[in-house]
Amino acid sequence: MEPSQENVVQAVVIMDLFNNNFSPINKTKPVALLSVAGVPLIDYVLESLGLGGVGETILFCCQDGPTIKEHIKMSKEKKAPWSLTMDVQVIMSETCQTMGDVMREIDAAGLVRGYFVLLGVNSITNVNFASLLEEHKLICKKDKEAAMTLIYKRVSWEHPLIKNNKPLFLAADGNTNKVLIHEKTRSNSNTLQLPLDCILSHSEAKLHHNLVDANIALCSPSVLPLFADNFDFQTRDDFVNGVLINEEILASTLYYKILKENQYAAAITNWKTYQIVSWDILHNWVYPLSIETGSFFQNNYILMENHNFRKITSKLSRSCTLVEDVLIGADTEICDNTTITKTMIDSLIENGTIIAENVNINAGSKLKGAIIECSEEDKNDKNLVKSTSESGTEWENESDGSGDDEFVGFDKVWSDSESCYSSDSSAQSSLPESPVPEDTNIFLQEVIDSLARGYEEKLKCDYLILEINSSRYAYNIQLHEVNFFVIRAMLSMPILVDSKSVLVTVKDILKFFRPILSNYIKTKSSIMDCLRAVEESCIKCDWLEGKAGQILHLLYETDVVDEDSLVEWYDDLKDNESSLVNQTSLVKFFEWLQEASEESEESE
Amino acid sequence: MPPLEGPAKELDEKCEELIVKYVSDIRSGKLEGSLNIAMATVSLLEQIISESQNPTAFELCSTIRAVGRQIVRALPQELAATNMVRRVLRAIRDEQPSNANQSGEGAGESLQRLVLAPHSRAAPADTKDLIEPVRDFIAELRGELDSSTQSVCGQAREHVHADELVLTYGASRLVERFLRAAAPRRYRLLLAESSDVKQSHAMAARLSAAGVNVTLVSSAAVTALMSRVNKVVLGARAALAGGAALARVGAHSVTLAAQHYSVPVLALAPLYKLSPLHACEQHHFNVPDSAHSALPYQSSESATARVVAPRYDFIPPNHITLFITNL
Repeated sequence: MEPSQENVVQAVVIMDLFNNNFSPINKTKPVALLSVAGVPLIDYVLESLGLGGVGETILFCCQDGPTIKEHIKMSKEKKAPWSLTMDVQVIMSETCQTMGDVMREIDAAGLVRGYFVLLGVNSITNVNFASLLEEHKLICKKDKEAAMTLIYKRVSWEHPLIKNNKPLFLAADGNTNKVLIHEKTRSNSNTLQLPLDCILSHSEAKLHHNLVDANIALCSPSVLPLFADNFDFQTRDDFVNGVLINEEILASTLYYKILKENQYAAAITNWKTYQIVSWDILHNWVYPLSIETGSFFQNNYILMENHNFRKITSKLSRSCTLVEDVLIGADTEICDNTTITKTMIDSLIENGTIIAENVNINAGSKLKGAIIECSEEDKNDKNLVKSTSESGTEWENESDGSGDDEFVGFDKVWSDSESCYSSDSSAQSSLPESPVPEDTNIFLQEVIDSLARGYEEKLKCDYLILEINSSRYAYNIQLHEVNFFVIRAMLSMPILVDSKSVLVTVKDILKFFRPILSNYIKTKSSIMDCLRAVEESCIKCDWLEGKAGQILHLLYETDVVDEDSLVEWYDDLKDNESSLVNQTSLVKFFEWLQEASEESEESE
Repeated sequence: MPPLEGPAKELDEKCEELIVKYVSDIRSGKLEGSLNIAMATVSLLEQIISESQNPTAFELCSTIRAVGRQIVRALPQELAATNMVRRVLRAIRDEQPSNANQSGEGAGESLQRLVLAPHSRAAPADTKDLIEPVRDFIAELRGELDSSTQSVCGQAREHVHADELVLTYGASRLVERFLRAAAPRRYRLLLAESSDVKQSHAMAARLSAAGVNVTLVSSAAVTALMSRVNKVVLGARAALAGGAALARVGAHSVTLAAQHYSVPVLALAPLYKLSPLHACEQHHFNVPDSAHSALPYQSSESATARVVAPRYDFIPPNHITLFITNL
């Protein structure tokens, strides 16, 4: 029993994407059940694993575990082809927030015995996993440190799969396929930086810029401990970058493999790639996976010409026209004079989609490639439309037969989701958008974090100063910016956000951080930085609204700022016509200040 | 065909499992080539028959028919598989009346008896020795499949002569064996490469090693070369009713050129490839192949182009001079 068990190929499927790229649909149902060309994603994944020679699969769900379990059970009862050759295990854990957490959980539970295939639920592929894993084992024999082989599909540079993902730049050793540089740039910058030793120390180097990441990796047993040891690895990209940067320390190397021409692999990462992959499936690029996948080879679709498919139970009117790339699900009725192009009308659930009379969806109009998904409840359906296109109600009108022009809304769907896709980590999401450049933004976040921690744990301010300074050097921040951000950070501490009496807390904070303040705010110019920070904080932070005067008063009382600077700053405010000038608290404060100074002058 | 014998039977779980496994083996490409598929089908049917407990002919027939239907739905393109189901079904029906005869019914093929036949078929007959003859038949069928290649190749020397220029298209196991068997004739071979170039090259290399004088040509050059060719040898995927054939995509252009130059076309079709279907059902004959075979995904057009990549070409009856079978 033992040796045979060792030969079984294991696969780990991460069932969540840990992002919001598919909202609002992923709020109502798990991504795994998102239907792509009429078939739930999970069916493609299991099918490809089954065909690819995988013997045991672990599905790791962080959300909606029971729904998925139900789905798997149902498929098993229906005798899906994979259920005969593959053992599927559903693991649930509500606590995991990132892919790194999942890997640590798997490591802790000891679910994986040796080499394994790691893929996301969004990978669509027809590769043979078993033979790829064998190749990876061969690499491991040559290089004991090999941790992971990444799977890529090479496509042309103009291919939409490249345009709609983060561009990937990969440099590798030409002879061994060892990855040297792996860079996912966020913007389409035209320059690349290539360290010289990457060229000098290898007789041949390959540079790739046209690879599609299939979200598939072949892992050595060492991958799980690496995740466990490095708690800052949140995603697979973190892992890749971490391993590449600390190659010597972690004693691990990465390899990559480009798939052969007849193999297909792509990951569905956002709505645009969703659309591309759906078409690829419809165009039979992913053979033997196809629109028949979920139906256990029962060929329920009728192929009409021009890649139009319809389920046997669908009804088409005599006068309707299907132009090209149309998929019509079961029990759907297409009424008279309808023209449909490049559309997937999919009704997995009982209430079929009905496109009413005289609706004309042109290929040329902006609805190019719309995917109308009919969800379980009507309400749900509307939800989807409303939040994705701005014109939810117009959509309703549309189906009653008004013009096409409002379909422009759908183009926005894609761009919207793209911005969602590119928006960065959750850490910054709590802050309102600011025009501050990237590095300084991260710096601010770090300062906030260290201050908050210091305040909570009552750390010594000296240490905090040290921390801030090291962050400062890490992000190359100017001194005057540091002054600015320290104050800014103090006023945006998370504790303030929830605090009921903000001013008392601010007073406490300022008192506690007095040493830090005196460390940074010494000179006249630094005081001005400080005041500008107060200004920005008061404009940006809701919790400080209308309290600018009081905060200045606190700073004045603790001798952080002096009178002259305050007056100067106030004049500046007036010159710049800042929105703060007319705030009552501020006006009152300066009135008081003037009186106080006059009084003191008088007394002298 | 006899009339339907009641609604298709629900298959039991074990049966379903076997079928699903068989189908997914073929779909995933683990089982390739019509001969292997035919063999696998026969094994599958044998397993199902031997597992059925003491069935009547009627029950057995409906089980096999249900299996056949599932296979046809799942693999409309594999005509060899359905042919095997038909052969086994026929064997059961052949056995049944002979049993009935023994039980002492009026003998003779009278009109009345023919009319009553469905009725007698439905009647529970003596079942004891039904399985045995069917198994014998299956063993026979398997023997026939085994020897089919050999007996087709045995005729090679009758058709290929010395100093002839023979043209074939694409890689095929049967054609390779056939041409190898004709090797002592010292003919010259033109091998036109089909869409899987690699396999064509490998076949050319193997034939060349076996002592055949092989020239590999692009399929685009076939028309230009056809005037010099003496014979075209093609492996058919299926021989259809009416004398047409299904062959690998691209073969039609070859036979068209052959017809233009009046070059004889030999189609190799062992018995298991003979199918009673007419080429009017699109469902069976328009099976799409993977789009990779027509256009590389790496090309920039792959995202926008609509690729039409059929798997088979229909070769009309007048293009084929001779079918070579194993009878």
